[in-house]
Amino acid sequence: MSSYTETCKQRNPLGRRNYLYLTLVMAITDFKIKYDNSVLGYFWSLLKPLLMFGTLYLVFSVFVRWDVENYKLYLLLGIILWNFLAEVTLNSMVLLEGKASILKKIYFPRWIIVIASSLTSLLTLLLNIGVFFIFFVFSGAHFRISALLLAVYLVELYVLVVGVALLLCALYPKFRDIHHIWEVFVQLGFWATPIIYPILIVPEKYHTLIFLNPVARIIQGCREALIGPGSEFLGLTNHIIIISVATCLFVVGLGMFNKLSRSFAEDL
Amino acid sequence: MIALEGVNKIFRLPHDRKTTLRQRFVSLLQRQTYEELYALRDINLKVDNGEFLGVIGKNGAGKSTLLKLIARVLEPTSGTISINGNIAPFLELGIGFQGDLTVKDNVFLYGALLGMSRQEIEGKYDWIIDFSRLERFVDAKLKNLSSGMQVRLGFSITVSVESPILLVDEVLAVGDMDFQQKCYNAFENFKKDGRTILFVSHDLNAIQTFCDRAILLENGEVKSQGEPDVVIAQYQENMELTKMVHT
Repeated sequence: MSSYTETCKQRNPLGRRNYLYLTLVMAITDFKIKYDNSVLGYFWSLLKPLLMFGTLYLVFSVFVRWDVENYKLYLLLGIILWNFLAEVTLNSMVLLEGKASILKKIYFPRWIIVIASSLTSLLTLLLNIGVFFIFFVFSGAHFRISALLLAVYLVELYVLVVGVALLLCALYPKFRDIHHIWEVFVQLGFWATPIIYPILIVPEKYHTLIFLNPVARIIQGCREALIGPGSEFLGLTNHIIIISVATCLFVVGLGMFNKLSRSFAEDL
Repeated sequence: MIALEGVNKIFRLPHDRKTTLRQRFVSLLQRQTYEELYALRDINLKVDNGEFLGVIGKNGAGKSTLLKLIARVLEPTSGTISINGNIAPFLELGIGFQGDLTVKDNVFLYGALLGMSRQEIEGKYDWIIDFSRLERFVDAKLKNLSSGMQVRLGFSITVSVESPILLVDEVLAVGDMDFQQKCYNAFENFKKDGRTILFVSHDLNAIQTFCDRAILLENGEVKSQGEPDVVIAQYQENMELTKMVHT
């Protein structure tokens, strides 16, 4: 097998910092380009989940009624978090494709593209969380100390989602079908996760199955931390489960990505 | 310093003759067949610090593949490549330029892609804008600039990178006389600074003027290397020979 001697890396103590800067520049560029030619610009990143929320809220609070306290907040939080997952995983594959011409001419660690795309979506997520808190204040919900746990859940979600994105992007250049497969998966996942319906309407025997999905645990945990009721998913066990799954996915994703990204210049 | 030992690069070009639906399904079960193309075969090459090496050869001889391997864009199929020092790849001017961003944003984006830090780019920014003569357009979108202006901008950013190794692939082919002169001046300066340069070109005059040494690639192999005059002469001789065979 071939090997590169990595002397060039050690010779340049600033190397790592430059990569960090490149990641930031790419993230900012993606964000600017995404909304540049639209009239409402950045507002689209806020409007999209809100419109989706509006539709679903209409259907599930007027036409069908769940007996959930603060259903508005419950639903909005679920949509925002799921949207983040969908956006990062799907966009990173599209961006990888879009950067093909650069990949063929300039070397830089390929994971920079995935991280940059995740940072763009992270910014959108934080803006959305801000909107959520506006709703939160107006709906008259009480702030509880456990709300601080939200930060922990967001970190867990970020690591998990980036791990999945790395895994998908690793396979994408050789196996393009993965994009379509994942699109279907995200659709299915939206309904298989308690986002629009309360977990209480699901028969007890399916709970284990539903909570095999770490994202369901994160979403449920966030809700309990911010809105309540219940505290089933606030405990340490839940965090341990989420963190182990997230770390596993991240490590496997990064490993696969580093291995397969060596031939991206040829495969894309 | 750059050293290549026993480097091979094989491209696998998959056969694609799936025209009917049935063939597509059948091909799912079969192993895909490939055409193997030796782009580079057993390359041993050493480029010393401060050396200006010219690479010549016909189209498809493996010149660009060689540069891409050294730039780490491609992985060798076998063999080792060791590089001591940072590389600035000039494989194409303005790669990664975003038409929807302003000239200023593009300077920072392209600079970062070429491995510069924010401080470095900020330090060079005025010089870059001045050299490309785009003072009036820094806040204009890049796509509204003429292609000549874009090339000037790309070139100005590229030459401001302070890496000890430069890989140059036919950049000089674009641009007018004035621009080419600028490129040659930049080359003179690089040489004075003692930077290592790999220069791929069909411009034999430029090779003769600047290079300390040249190599001739033919079908992925190093056919000859040494003094530029000698290598160029052999290249021209080979061309004559093939011409005679064909007529």
